[in-house]
Amino acid sequence: MKMKISTKIKAGLTGFAFMWASSCDVIDTLPATIIPDAEAFATAARIESIVFGVYEAAQRGFFNGSSVNGRGYPFGAATVQQGDMRGEDMYNDQLFYEITYTGTYNPNTANNNNMWSSLYRVINRANITLEGLEPALSEGVLTQDQRNRYRGEMLFMRALSHHEVLIHFARPYTDDPGSMGIPYRIFPINDVPLVTEGEAVGRTTVGEDYAQLIADLDEAEQLLPEGGGMARANKGAAIGLKIRVKQHMGDWQGVLTEFAKVTGYAVTANPAAPFRGTSTDNIFSFINSAESNGTVNGALPAMYGNPADGGRGLVKVSPLIWRSNFWHPEDTRRELLTSRNAAGIYSAKYIDPITRADPTPILRYSELVLTAAEANARLGNLDVAVTLLNSVRDRALPASVPSFTAAGLGGQEGVLTAIFNEKRIEFLGEGRRWPDIHRLSGEGRMDGVPAKASSRQIGNLDFYTTDRVIPTDHAIAYSSNAFIWPIPLEEILTNATAPIPQNPGY
Amino acid sequence: MKKVLLGFALTLITVFSVVAQSRTVTGRVTSTDEPDGVPGVNVQVKGSTVGAITDLDGTYSVNVPDGSTALVFSFVGYLTQEVAIGNRTVVDVLLAPDVKTLSEVVVVGYGTQERREVTGSVTSIDNAAIENLVTPSFESQLAGRAPGVQITTPSGILGARPIIRIRGVNSLSGGANPLIVIDGVPLVDSDRSSVNASNPLANINPADIESFEVLKDGSATAIFGSRAANGVILITTKRGSTGKAQVSYNVSMGVNEEVNRFQVLNGDQFVTIANEKVTNAGGTGNAVQSGVNTNWQDFIFRNGFAQQHNLSIRGGSEATKYFFSIGFTDQESAIIANDLKRYSFRANIDHDISRRVRIGATTAYSYTEINGLNNGANSLSGAVYNATRNLPNVPIFDSENTAFDGFNVQPDGSTTGFAPNLVGPDNNIPNVAFALTNNIYRNRVHRINGATFAELDIVEGLTARSQIGIDLTLNDDFQSLDPRHGDGRGSNGFVFMQMAPVFRWNWTNTLNYQKIVAEDHTFNVTLGTEYQYTNFYNFSAQGTDFSDRFYIQRNLISGSYNNQFSGGGFSDIGFDSYFGRVNYSYRGKYLATVTARNDGMSQLPADNRRGWFFGGSVGWRISDENFFNSSVISDMKIRTSYAEVGNTEILDGQAFPYAGGFGPVLGGAGAGIGYSNVANNALGWERSAKFNIGLDMTVGQVTLMLDYFTNDVTDLVLNAPTASSLGVPGNSISQNIGSLINRGFELRALAKVMERGNFIWNTDFNFSFITNEVTNLISPITGTYNRTEEGRPMAELYGFTWMGVNAANGNPLYLRNDDVIQYNLQQGALGWRTYDANNPGDVSTAAAGGPTQDFLGNTLPKWYGGWTNNFSYNNFDLEIFLRYSGGNFIMNESYRGLLGQGFSNNHVDILNRWTESGQTTDIPRLYSGQDQNMWQTSASNSRFVEKGDFVRVQNIVLGYRLPSQWLSSTFNGAISTARFFAQVQNPFIFTGYTGLDPELNQFQGQLSFGVDWNVAPIIRTWSLGLNVGF
Repeated sequence: MKMKISTKIKAGLTGFAFMWASSCDVIDTLPATIIPDAEAFATAARIESIVFGVYEAAQRGFFNGSSVNGRGYPFGAATVQQGDMRGEDMYNDQLFYEITYTGTYNPNTANNNNMWSSLYRVINRANITLEGLEPALSEGVLTQDQRNRYRGEMLFMRALSHHEVLIHFARPYTDDPGSMGIPYRIFPINDVPLVTEGEAVGRTTVGEDYAQLIADLDEAEQLLPEGGGMARANKGAAIGLKIRVKQHMGDWQGVLTEFAKVTGYAVTANPAAPFRGTSTDNIFSFINSAESNGTVNGALPAMYGNPADGGRGLVKVSPLIWRSNFWHPEDTRRELLTSRNAAGIYSAKYIDPITRADPTPILRYSELVLTAAEANARLGNLDVAVTLLNSVRDRALPASVPSFTAAGLGGQEGVLTAIFNEKRIEFLGEGRRWPDIHRLSGEGRMDGVPAKASSRQIGNLDFYTTDRVIPTDHAIAYSSNAFIWPIPLEEILTNATAPIPQNPGY
Repeated sequence: MKKVLLGFALTLITVFSVVAQSRTVTGRVTSTDEPDGVPGVNVQVKGSTVGAITDLDGTYSVNVPDGSTALVFSFVGYLTQEVAIGNRTVVDVLLAPDVKTLSEVVVVGYGTQERREVTGSVTSIDNAAIENLVTPSFESQLAGRAPGVQITTPSGILGARPIIRIRGVNSLSGGANPLIVIDGVPLVDSDRSSVNASNPLANINPADIESFEVLKDGSATAIFGSRAANGVILITTKRGSTGKAQVSYNVSMGVNEEVNRFQVLNGDQFVTIANEKVTNAGGTGNAVQSGVNTNWQDFIFRNGFAQQHNLSIRGGSEATKYFFSIGFTDQESAIIANDLKRYSFRANIDHDISRRVRIGATTAYSYTEINGLNNGANSLSGAVYNATRNLPNVPIFDSENTAFDGFNVQPDGSTTGFAPNLVGPDNNIPNVAFALTNNIYRNRVHRINGATFAELDIVEGLTARSQIGIDLTLNDDFQSLDPRHGDGRGSNGFVFMQMAPVFRWNWTNTLNYQKIVAEDHTFNVTLGTEYQYTNFYNFSAQGTDFSDRFYIQRNLISGSYNNQFSGGGFSDIGFDSYFGRVNYSYRGKYLATVTARNDGMSQLPADNRRGWFFGGSVGWRISDENFFNSSVISDMKIRTSYAEVGNTEILDGQAFPYAGGFGPVLGGAGAGIGYSNVANNALGWERSAKFNIGLDMTVGQVTLMLDYFTNDVTDLVLNAPTASSLGVPGNSISQNIGSLINRGFELRALAKVMERGNFIWNTDFNFSFITNEVTNLISPITGTYNRTEEGRPMAELYGFTWMGVNAANGNPLYLRNDDVIQYNLQQGALGWRTYDANNPGDVSTAAAGGPTQDFLGNTLPKWYGGWTNNFSYNNFDLEIFLRYSGGNFIMNESYRGLLGQGFSNNHVDILNRWTESGQTTDIPRLYSGQDQNMWQTSASNSRFVEKGDFVRVQNIVLGYRLPSQWLSSTFNGAISTARFFAQVQNPFIFTGYTGLDPELNQFQGQLSFGVDWNVAPIIRTWSLGLNVGF
């Protein structure tokens, strides 16, 4: 018995000594969720995925540091919502968009901070991709055509994002191209030493920024193929965006030159068609899906949708435009693209509040048509202008309503006003109002943000259907500092070497 | 064995006299540890100097003078016991161990050490004072019981984890919780639930715990090396002891209630206020007098029933000792829909194979089920948010609304039924009663935790030990949201399920050598290796758009939903270490400890994975010196230590903070990969240098422990913020940037205040003072409420400076730099205007801009502590435990939110709003929708910043021990001990803070802190209980 135990002890001791001597490796683990920089551009398929990753950043970027709860920043929903809430044609009914609607942002408020952050996040992803494409081409991972297409797409995304930064955070080009612009980023920041280099890029002038936008878009136009649907940038998208940029520059001849190059698109007979799938009007949209969207706290169908249909109805059509004399009472867009309940009237452009897969329109052919109309009007080609205007307007009106004529509109000013009004109607709920306020105020045609229906006071349908007085408030003069957004405080605080200047008055 | 030696020592020095008189009483003293007799016990005739000492076999004989009534038995390590003599001549006594003095032996990590030889800073906490309290988890009850240890329970949600900070906050963006080691196995301290707060420490049955040791300074913690940057809590669970089986059953039952509620407007007041907001803004009011006065808080708060049952058996032979326990608790929170159930089982076994080989195992299994709720601070269905905002002039129920089960909901389900008001509540908030009744947030955790060890005495004094431990958490979540109304409406029903396990194994080998050289030199050398691997993984499934809500009640049911989602994740973290420690003692007078370790951690890049860490300490027992001659001071020891440790809890457990590259992203156009982290291959160890100097002293009946410490943390691993326009992922890069220092002073005093007859009063007081300063930081780190900046304490409140209400026009006044400005609340003329105190009504000049921000107060308490008083009188015992804290400021966001300017309910203080010129008040003129300008909601606001000082009566416990004679005669020896108790936890607080409770805190991280924001009020518990020993 004793013998046995001591044998056991010996065996145990031997085993123990063996265990002691052997060590085990537990600290050399490898990531399961991150593909290292060095391996990312290794195959064509991965590069395609990287390109998709840039679209993802644009469609569902992060909000307050989280991409999981992304609210559709920047382009998946937020540019539309912020663009609408800065204007007077859509009405804020709740706390959610109140700061934007009432113009009470400061360097800390969430919307300007997240718009800034998420736009530059797209830009950096695009620049990282642009950098990685060249070695992939030279090493034969990509063909020339593949590389060209990806490069064109990335330049488009970079321009689209920078332009959005410009219209929110800088004064308009139409006022003074020499005024303070934004940091325009053309190199990636994907390594620690590049941080300081990136910090050194300051606020160039608005004029320089627009010049870079045009340069990016000119190159993109050359590189991109035609066609391929609205989900990815193509030649039409590059030209379309260039038209928009030139409109903001007041380069009317340039607008017309570019417009002449746009082919393959048409205004749809049914004004609702661009929102009910792909149509000839849709040039570029960000695609949302059941799995990837702005969530119930951001997606357009959730935020704009009629509560009776399952939406949240936080934003309504403003009774100001609904009751305006320039929106014809028989306009079919009043029926086709809105919805109502006892509390008011809602946009019905986005109709899928449960799954939230409505695409977010970014560029539509109708916008280019109206921009071309404006350019013609500006250049004195009033009849051409009105013809273009009518091609958008008449499709929404019964035959009994006569088309506009230049004479009937009272000449150039009347034609321009009619074009601006038509754009407000046609693009209601698409976030295009603010960019127009921005550029038109810059040239002195508007004085900043007009008075809006008072926030949270339009709680009943009778504001739309009767002559009940609409309380108004929240106008912002062009001269006010609040006309443009403050640079986020975080941006200035965390730039250790060369913080950019804040916009005056904040 | 140590006790025996100590007993003999006492025998030698105890002075006693024998007076020949009357009769002789004999007997034998035994204990469960030493059933064959406890030697050296002091037997004293009560009220006299007559006494005796027990022999080696525990027997004694004492001459009892006439008129004596009782014998008092006392011995180190046992509770003093008084036994009536009566007419007996034989008095046998079973002594009960005194766990408090047993901690004369201190568990110090990979071993034990005698308290008198400890040179580090270690506080022992006996679980006896804690185990009967009604509590979801043990650690919340450690608050106030040890100096340098700060524990706050930031909300009344069962399952929410307390915040534990040992000697301040020692990391900026890493974990700041201490390492928790249970029976030698480091616990996984990770809440794996996605649907509820599920405190991982709530899986442990508090009744299974014998004692806690809190290791605070560098010397004590150094042996845990890099995992010890935030201090260590060692937990020892109960183990068996030789003797016949002892069965004990403990039960307590009670009621949980909320400590406080918000004072909100009733329906009638609401109508007045709501309409005034709108008419002041030029509109027409939408609120309509209904005669209904609803307080929605009546629905969400309740008296929750709580019960705890524990049954344990311990015993054993010479060779084999066992401890088995089963526990059950079911606690309902004071907030509806929230409860916690735990079933637990433990088996601890020790067996001596031979005199030289020992093996043992600890095994614990628990099943914890938590039902939670949405209490998001600004979630539309957040219980506290919603119940304090919802319209008070509409009813909660509408019996005719059968589509919504009789709740008052709009017919389309979009919001709370708002009739007769003309509009619904702000943000279309739902009827929270419907949401709380129908939505399910369930978290279930199976936790298996245990270890097996073998110990071998190789030669005299040399012991090898190997232990393999595991900690497995199987976390299972279920969330179901009703499609009709509330959070599930937007998705037409929503079910989420998740399995999120985490598994850790830990293998520790130590070699320990003890040697006494030349009688006076004692060496104790420990060498060891440790390997630890932790694997986190999860997968989830989710469905929305359900065909029928019948299918959402218990589980995901295939085929019942249109949109199907799944997800998953994986990460693993490894850690290894090679370490050594030498303890040296010269006659117990000069003491020294040296530790060294080399740690490796998978979270750092390959070149920087390993780090060396050293520590050392010395102690000097002055009272043992010949020159020391004091009749007042019986013991005095000075000790000092210095050590450097790393921090493995960097960046909240991010597995690969240094790795740069592309993560998976799912866009609407398809799955892609997105640039998700900037590489930093220079990332290295975060280091903290801990210095401590302390003094232990016994003066008469008072024991004092004083410590001064500094904890200097350098190379902080920080998600260093980058300018957002750089577009760097997360706007940050993990870098070793920054340093901070915590300095503090601790005091603990224990004393027997009074012993008069059968009345004994013991007191135990502790006090800590601590300052925190960030000494180096790349750039200020700013959140909504807080800012952390170089040269200041971390997470100070930062925001706007309120200057009152302009009595002339009701406009709010704020500081813009040094100038007072006002926000003009006049329709059509809204905006910032200058303010002239001599002409306050002048609003003609636009201000140059809005208000500016400044520091508004530190959020970390500067002083805190606790004070326990124990009284016993005959069979009664009473404990009164106070806890205090202060020197910090709180941003009362709950209150700011309740002064909102929308169509929702308000705090009653809004009735003081400005209404007429010349009125002095602190509430401006009401104006619909002007929350942002009026209250500057984008940051903290000095208007709502308050001091957080408090003194809390934490527990009052009254117990009565049934007389043992009565028990033995009544139950024939079947019941050996029985104690009834009544207790109240958290009965009162003394504070100037105007919110619900100064410890409520929305944030648990380091960079955002000190914000009371719609948190569920903490709980007060009344309970009755019984401890029975068989």
